[in-house]
Amino acid sequence: MAHWFHRNPLKATAPVSFNFYGVAGSPAANKICNDLRTTRARLLEMFTDVTCNPEIMKNATDAYFSLLQGFISSLDGTTQENKMRFIQNFKWTDTLQGNTPSAQQDAVFELVSMAFNVALWYTKFASRLAGKENITEAEAKDVHRSLKVAAGIFKNLKEVHIPRLITPAEKGRDLEPRVMDAYIIQCQAEAQEVTIARAIELKHNATLIAALAFETANFYQKADHTLNTLEPECSSKWRKYLQLKHSQYFYLCKGTFDKCGEAIRSLQEAEKCYSRAEALCKEYRQTKGPGTTAKPSEQLFFLKLGGVIKNTLEKCQRENGFIYFHKIPAEAPQLELKASYGLAEPIIFELPPLSEQCSAEVYATFDLTKGAKNDKAKPKEEEVKPVKEPDLKPQKDTGCVVS
Amino acid sequence: PSIPEGLPGDKSNRDGVLVDEFGLPQIPAT
Repeated sequence: MAHWFHRNPLKATAPVSFNFYGVAGSPAANKICNDLRTTRARLLEMFTDVTCNPEIMKNATDAYFSLLQGFISSLDGTTQENKMRFIQNFKWTDTLQGNTPSAQQDAVFELVSMAFNVALWYTKFASRLAGKENITEAEAKDVHRSLKVAAGIFKNLKEVHIPRLITPAEKGRDLEPRVMDAYIIQCQAEAQEVTIARAIELKHNATLIAALAFETANFYQKADHTLNTLEPECSSKWRKYLQLKHSQYFYLCKGTFDKCGEAIRSLQEAEKCYSRAEALCKEYRQTKGPGTTAKPSEQLFFLKLGGVIKNTLEKCQRENGFIYFHKIPAEAPQLELKASYGLAEPIIFELPPLSEQCSAEVYATFDLTKGAKNDKAKPKEEEVKPVKEPDLKPQKDTGCVVS
Repeated sequence: PSIPEGLPGDKSNRDGVLVDEFGLPQIPAT
């Protein structure tokens, strides 16, 4: 499955020191600040470490988020906002907006931005794993699971945490609903692609595959339509990918009809869809925009299916000419296209429990009135450097061997 | 045709049908 998935770049952020001179009024409070700095730095390192796996990522994420919640959750038994929530400025770039960062002095903004990157990491991990030569069944499961984990994180951020932001996201930024929806749906659709590949390998029946391909095609179309009101320069490449994936899976669902007279008409329709998918592959590769360029037109999975459609159509036409003499309908027959199997649901994401370091007693030793008198406590302007992502160089493509 | 079981859109596939981690029936239908 090399070069199968389009990936937008990771979000970049400015370093954060968590140096609250004077405010952190006890050794335990200072330790929280130091640990926030080190766990944040480690999590950022993990995003570009090619040896990182989901277990390491989860540990690194939990270590940081368990402490960061000490600046978000209410720790003094009241319903009031955590007094530390707005003390630190955080800067993050957006996946579709180049290197121009958004900044908010809000720990919730940090939480959602970092978690967004964790979700992106899962999609990139899945893509890298899917690009391996001779992918095993266990690895295919990891790909499938990683995409569902990513979908769950995006979904949780959209529904629970983003609504808590004081400043809503601007148009085209990562945290706005259209972009969030597109990421959620893309993750689900890509997980279903893995399932479709498996269903083909295991020779599940054509109706099951067609229905899942149809629903997957619809997912891609929905994600594409979700983005159609964004600025074309930032979204057109991603949208081309979504369009070509819609076309590929629409073609696949048309091509899985296997009864002679109607099959000929259906396969003719599949050939049309295939041509459209090929054209979209070219357009996608020529479209400029953020993200890596997938090469779905060079996929053995895609190329093999093209051959299967062509050969099956020729076989059906031959047999119909000699044996069946079925009338070929003017309209392509409709299949039962409600998928009952293989739909990918997001895996529910939950934040880790609050760190034991963040007790009410320690929280009471943070004194905001002390920091205001000290110039050093003012937010320092830190530059946001783009993330240098490791090359995703997939190995030799061996086609679709998922089982 | 037989009367369909469950409501339209109801994901009742797991009723009596074992599925794998991918949500596919464990025994191929063909």
